[in-house]
Amino acid sequence: MTGRLRVVAILLTAMTAQVTVFEEIRINGVSVELLLMVSILSGFHGGPHRGAVVAFCAGLLQDSVTATPMGLHALVYAPLAVATSHLEVRLARSTWPFLAAGLAVAMAVGVLATMLAGGLFGLHEVDAAGLARTAVVASLMSMAVAAPTSRAVRWAVTGGLPIDVDVRGSGVESRG
Amino acid sequence: MSVPRPTGRSRPTLLLLIAAALTLLTLQFRGFEPLDSFQRGMRDLLDPVRTVSETAARPLRSAWLGVFDYDDLRDRTERLEKELARMRGRQLSSEADRELLMRLMGEVGIDYTTLDTVVVRILGTPPGNFSSHTIEVDKGLDDGLSEGMAVVTGAGLVGRLEVVDRSRSIVRLATHPAFRVGIRLVGSQDEGLARGGGASGYLVIDAGIRPDVEVALGEVVVTSGGRSRFPADIPVGRVLDPDPDADLDREILVEPAASLEHLSFLNVVLDPRQADAGPMERG
Repeated sequence: MTGRLRVVAILLTAMTAQVTVFEEIRINGVSVELLLMVSILSGFHGGPHRGAVVAFCAGLLQDSVTATPMGLHALVYAPLAVATSHLEVRLARSTWPFLAAGLAVAMAVGVLATMLAGGLFGLHEVDAAGLARTAVVASLMSMAVAAPTSRAVRWAVTGGLPIDVDVRGSGVESRG
Repeated sequence: MSVPRPTGRSRPTLLLLIAAALTLLTLQFRGFEPLDSFQRGMRDLLDPVRTVSETAARPLRSAWLGVFDYDDLRDRTERLEKELARMRGRQLSSEADRELLMRLMGEVGIDYTTLDTVVVRILGTPPGNFSSHTIEVDKGLDDGLSEGMAVVTGAGLVGRLEVVDRSRSIVRLATHPAFRVGIRLVGSQDEGLARGGGASGYLVIDAGIRPDVEVALGEVVVTSGGRSRFPADIPVGRVLDPDPDADLDREILVEPAASLEHLSFLNVVLDPRQADAGPMERG
């Protein structure tokens, strides 16, 4: 399976899981943000360029299933994937608890940013306490599926396509 | 990382994607039909899977509720039984609702219950975490519904259809901050515009009512009709705070006639005027 097909497969699977299984599991009305997690992990595993493209597509799918204006989630997910990718450079040698905490924070930031963007476009009211609660609960719930999602996303975004290996610190960049 | 990590020049790509997202947003807000069709198509594709998932999860959800939320489950069952009985008798309003309705109808002198309606069942909140003040119902385009149609209960206005797919729809409740409805004060006959009050659970009349008009506490508020997307004379609620001391920025607080909590069934008004909404109500 080529890299692009893997990405399509992972996005469609995540979208289906989001509106079926995870829609049934809500805590205080908040559900898992699987497509957001896929976006962040795409940036983490796939680098800024590929991460941004995958996150953009994930955002469009999220807009479709949640009936929000097309482009709203994509507007947040793509920059978040790039930011995560740049942070990953600094976290490369970190231990897994530290990475998990980083992912949880990124998830919370993503939920907050999306809800603020939604508020900006008048989709809902911006209530600080409610936003914070939703962000924290969604982030923690999503962490429960972080490990398998991370493996699946890494399989999808690092396979098939040519890989550029950045030799950091040396200023040399070899392209495959 | 153990896996070789692809790199790339991200800035031009990111700028391009942001520009694309903003373009899509602009097109969507301008009513570009292909985008709506694409989104609707995606949801319609997922609909059978969602139905299967909901059916499969129902026993688990029941078990969960039975263990951790028994009282609420019992109350809900009782309420559903009552509603079912009322539906069979073509009486959709609860006793409390009926009492209020009769009082309102007596004061207003109309009977909006003669409007053609479709009964819909509430499925829950729509997918995602952006669903405050919106609910999902089990009928859609196949049942003759279309966007903008008024949603009511026996007690009065509940909201309007915001998104209509083939077999599901999303209702924007009257308390949604972006909800707008043309209203008329029954006492003064002044017409104005009300918006959803969000978390407060009320509606706020903030345009159209003259500052010097005397508005009584408890005065009945109904839909104005005319160029509104809603049929005239649907009870909206009662004045809770007439804000008599305000100058130009008068904000009259209205308590909704229909209880928006613990709803199970709703009526969608099949009224052709929904396509003729005034510009102020497009929110």
